[in-house]
Amino acid sequence: MSWLSILIFLPLLAAIMVLLLPASQRALYKYIAAAACLVQLVLSLYLYIGFNDTLPGVNTIEGYQFVEQVPWIRLHLGSLGSLEVDYFIGVDGFSILLLLLTALVMLLAVIASWKMEQRLKGFFSLLLLLNTAVMGVFVALDFFLFYVFYEVMLLPLYFLIGIWGGPRREYAAIKFFLYTLFGSVFMLLVMVGLYFSVINPLTGNHTFNLLCMMNPANYVPGAVFSPSGHYEWFGLSARLLGFIVLFVAFAIKVPVVPLHTWLPDAHVEAPTPVSIILAGILLKVGGYGIIRICYSIFPDIAITSAWWLGLIGVVSILYGAFNALAQQDLKRLVAYSSVSHMGFVLLGIASLTPEGLSGAVFQMISHGFLSAMLFFLVGVLYDRVHDRMIYNFRGLAMLMPKYTAFVAIAFFASLGLPGFSAFIAEAFTIIGAFNSQGVNGLIPRWMAICGSLGILLSAAYFLWTLQRMFFGHTRLKGGEQWQVQLTDLNLRETIALAPMVLLALLFGLMPSLTFDKINASVLNLIEWVNNVHQ
Amino acid sequence: MIGLFHLLTVSAFLFAVGIYAVLAKKNAILMLIGIEFMINAGVLNLVAFGRYDRAFYGGQTFALFAIVLAAAAVAVALAIILNVYKHYKSIDPDDVTDLRD
Amino acid sequence: MDSLNQIAAVVWATLVVLLAPLFAFILSAALGKRMRSGWLATVAMVISLIAAIFVFSQIWNNEPIHQQIQWFQIGNHPFAVGLILNNLSVVLLVLVCAIALPVFIYSRVYMKGDPGIHRYWMYLSLFCFAMLGLVVADGLLLLYMCWELVGFASYLLIGFWFTKEAAIKANKKAFLINRIGDLGFLIGIAILYTQFQTLDIITLFGEQGLVKQAPPTVLLTWAGIAFFLGAMAKSAQFPFHVWLPDAMEGPTSVSSLIHAATMVAAGVFMLVRISPLFDAQVLFFIAGIGAFTAFMAATIAVTQQDLKKILAFSTISQLGFMMVAIGLGQYGVAIFHLVTHAFFKCLLFLSAGAVIHEMSHLKVQHRLNMDPQDIRNMGGLRKFMPWTFRLTAVAALALAGLPLTAGYLSKDAILIYAFEWSEWQSGVWKIIPISLLISSALTAFYIARLVFKVFFGKFRLNRTFRKQFHLHEAPKGMRYPMVFLAIGSLYFLYSYNPLVFEDAWLLRGLATTTSLQRVNIYHTVIPAAVNGLSIIFIYVAWRWYGRRKYPIRSLSGPWYRFSEAQWYGHHVYGTIVKGTLGLAKILYAFDRKVVDGFVNSMGGLISALGNIARWLDCYIVDALINGLGNLSFKIGGILRGPRKGKVQYYMLSMFLVLLVVLLIGLQFF
Repeated sequence: MSWLSILIFLPLLAAIMVLLLPASQRALYKYIAAAACLVQLVLSLYLYIGFNDTLPGVNTIEGYQFVEQVPWIRLHLGSLGSLEVDYFIGVDGFSILLLLLTALVMLLAVIASWKMEQRLKGFFSLLLLLNTAVMGVFVALDFFLFYVFYEVMLLPLYFLIGIWGGPRREYAAIKFFLYTLFGSVFMLLVMVGLYFSVINPLTGNHTFNLLCMMNPANYVPGAVFSPSGHYEWFGLSARLLGFIVLFVAFAIKVPVVPLHTWLPDAHVEAPTPVSIILAGILLKVGGYGIIRICYSIFPDIAITSAWWLGLIGVVSILYGAFNALAQQDLKRLVAYSSVSHMGFVLLGIASLTPEGLSGAVFQMISHGFLSAMLFFLVGVLYDRVHDRMIYNFRGLAMLMPKYTAFVAIAFFASLGLPGFSAFIAEAFTIIGAFNSQGVNGLIPRWMAICGSLGILLSAAYFLWTLQRMFFGHTRLKGGEQWQVQLTDLNLRETIALAPMVLLALLFGLMPSLTFDKINASVLNLIEWVNNVHQ
Repeated sequence: MIGLFHLLTVSAFLFAVGIYAVLAKKNAILMLIGIEFMINAGVLNLVAFGRYDRAFYGGQTFALFAIVLAAAAVAVALAIILNVYKHYKSIDPDDVTDLRD
Repeated sequence: MDSLNQIAAVVWATLVVLLAPLFAFILSAALGKRMRSGWLATVAMVISLIAAIFVFSQIWNNEPIHQQIQWFQIGNHPFAVGLILNNLSVVLLVLVCAIALPVFIYSRVYMKGDPGIHRYWMYLSLFCFAMLGLVVADGLLLLYMCWELVGFASYLLIGFWFTKEAAIKANKKAFLINRIGDLGFLIGIAILYTQFQTLDIITLFGEQGLVKQAPPTVLLTWAGIAFFLGAMAKSAQFPFHVWLPDAMEGPTSVSSLIHAATMVAAGVFMLVRISPLFDAQVLFFIAGIGAFTAFMAATIAVTQQDLKKILAFSTISQLGFMMVAIGLGQYGVAIFHLVTHAFFKCLLFLSAGAVIHEMSHLKVQHRLNMDPQDIRNMGGLRKFMPWTFRLTAVAALALAGLPLTAGYLSKDAILIYAFEWSEWQSGVWKIIPISLLISSALTAFYIARLVFKVFFGKFRLNRTFRKQFHLHEAPKGMRYPMVFLAIGSLYFLYSYNPLVFEDAWLLRGLATTTSLQRVNIYHTVIPAAVNGLSIIFIYVAWRWYGRRKYPIRSLSGPWYRFSEAQWYGHHVYGTIVKGTLGLAKILYAFDRKVVDGFVNSMGGLISALGNIARWLDCYIVDALINGLGNLSFKIGGILRGPRKGKVQYYMLSMFLVLLVVLLIGLQFF
């Protein structure tokens, strides 16, 4: 049992504990959940510190760290050979930081659900199950295992939104579920196709091992996804189709325009802790999947379709930003801003320059803290008066100075104020995207310039919101009653928020904390993709 | 030498007698006896064909099994007839028409 | 060894300059309302000033120092964080501290009793830290960070009175317009990075820098334009000047800082820092924009009635002068004007603050319904506030550029160079020096108008409200800093010779290019012409406003309205903002109706399909099975005929059917 496995299954253990405890002990549930997340955080910090910066990861097992490979399913299928599924996990530069982020955001989510009252047992056990699934997704190196965790992630979320959500929760939950399932069902097809196309050179069997899938030498000549096979479906090459299907599955998660409409609904209806997890971690599964699976397995297609990916990224940036500008619901605004900010991830990945790719990974991390913080802050307001329409509030700064300070920090950090993490992320994504034309000619420069307009627009909607809700003379829709209810942040909320601010600052001022860890992997991926392409 | 043919002839005769009894008699007991004839005709066939399975004697084994089952069935059938008689004061199947729609 | 120690000492001193205000900021933020008096921020600024003077004395005209440590690495490209200390940065270092300190001292009195004062000190410290960092930053990324931080601090300070509607709109506007410029800056950085793979200023722009060796390309021209875009927004050049007049909604002390040394100076400084980048086209562009801005802002300033607005447009106009100097390639002159302007503009704002302070005091005391910043309400203040008047007069003369002042030296330098430069250009470019000449004359006119309207004549409120009001002289805490600034506005700090700018030590230390051939005639004719014009205009102003012989009766001429409405800049921006919001609304409707509508209709389609399937299942498939069952039931009913319930009859028919089936089956074998 490696540390990594403990990291994954600890929350599952905690979930079982929660399920076994009688309802009379329900006050304990949150402590169990918090303790599990805290231990995870310590553990992931330990892994982060112990992480060797020089190992490149991506496509060789030697490049990964904390690897654990145990045969899981071995079925003899007669003439078809034997089914080979491994419990194969490991960490490289792309995943180590996401583990840290997950542990942190999960802890924040538990703190955010401290005041939860109804059906605690179900809530906390589902939250912990979700935690296991997400951790698993980020470390799985076997496609089958990845898929299992990926689908397990879906189930708790469906219930968390559908049971504990807002008034239109059923609609939002089913929308979210169907969207994601739509993506993952086709992913299953491609996964099976890959399975039959790839042979593990060590055992001679077909395999789900991701690392084997990355190496073109392992493909059966003439198989569906074999690079030399030139299979065609509907007039498209099979590899292109496979790439598109996988990309769509992950793009729904990211989300990119036009596959994003589940996000505003899910966010608006989800309870605060679930919104935090959704924005903080789940969107990153999309970006991570694109890097780990789409780009690593189909590098040739990644190169040829980079222009389209960049375009989708830019469209997401601008479209999300414009939509955010038109919102009147604060939570919806933050949701659309997520669409806009995650567009940078896609743009950075598509550029395939060290700067762009590092910027994209950095943006995932940074957006993880910041969006979690933003949703937490929206939740604070909603907890107090059960309203979040921007026009119903005015001049909150007089009533809640501490809250306003945190909101202002979160807004400015999100709009890319230097000193905070989002600045480094966005600046380098833009620089990388701009650089691409000169280095590898994948993305034209105008995309970088259009993307930078997103930075301007993000300033516009955040500042406008700040002006409308927080400044000016206090005027509230709920009148006197709201004045009483709108108390400033309490200690628990401050404790939850302060580390987020500090981390955003820390990563913004010392980007090396991230860049050093991911550098080797980023360079390796780029070299790998370029080599395969030639 | 008694061959397969002889055995099958006897069996067919038994079966014919049984079916006549079942179809023609107006007494449930006699119909039951007819059924027994038919079962035994079947058992005889099993035994007759059993000679082709010298390895496991499947036919013989199955015949024994059928005989035991037939005995059990007879016991049940007699109990039913007894109850029918108690209820209808008759064992003529034509008088028992309550299940007709 | 000695020199090493010396370098270390200078670097440490520079760090002290930077960290003192940062420390003050962090401590103020942590302590919150307990830091009301501002002593911490002020002491930090004193420390900064002392350290800055030490650094200046060590570096000025000596070997520049460049120290850096690695910050992070992306791919194979390291990014460093470090300091550049050369003549340019140390001048600005001292200037920022020297302007900030009087403002801090002044604020202690001016802002006394404000309920949010603890925030004021915090923001002010952050503002100074950001500007100081910008001045010494050695990499474009670091420069950009400080650049945005300056914008952020100004956002906080402009919106300091956040319950005031105008203030929070103004700060949003300032930040957003600055953001537009920031994009230019960012794209400039991206271009340079693409070309040279580094963002280190020395490596790029040094003596043997990459930019100097690189062959000229279109991309580099665009980089120059992009950086200038950044400077245009920060230094309020047309068409991005609109934020600066609105920024007046902040406290006056803040305005003085923004207009003098911290905010708007950043644009000019940045352009000088990266000056080797500019090729001839970019320089023409800069000069053109600068000259136009100088002229436009001067014409607007002539008709404004708000005391602070006049000064704001005056700043825009003067920044235009500096931009022209950059466009001429005379970077030293631009910085020289920046320095002198910082002193007299700061002084003008502080005296305006003193006046406004007294006026609003009056307003509160007597519950008057009037605008304390409107110069139409003032007049004759000379008698109540003699010191403020004298100091204002010094600053006004410096702004108008009359001899013996610092403004004379720097402004004439720009004009003379402009004329010399135009000698070597085609005739059309003569328009730049000529428009500058006109702007300069207008400058003299509007500042004279301001002084005469505010300090001369009779106090107008007395007549409006039929009462005898009394105003008081500014308290010492406000007066002394102003005196200090007034000294900085006079010539002797810069040159022993009050008439010839070329003797100014500052200019000599900074002079980077002297490619222009000296045309001697200009050095005597131009100052004479400029000052002659200025004096004429001041006299006209005196006639019109001092003696109240105003020749124009109606204030509704089209030119007047055009000027008063600030060339309708706001209207244009209003349209752009409305367009953007409209686009946002349309896109959101598109998102709801089309994109989400498509998804929902897909969902609806699937559920409709489900309903169809259910109907099929219910009425076709199930009906078929049930129908079959019913059919056999009916047939059975017909067939069994009268012999209902006869068990033996059923058996017989079963037997016969079986026989038939068997016989038919036998046919197949």
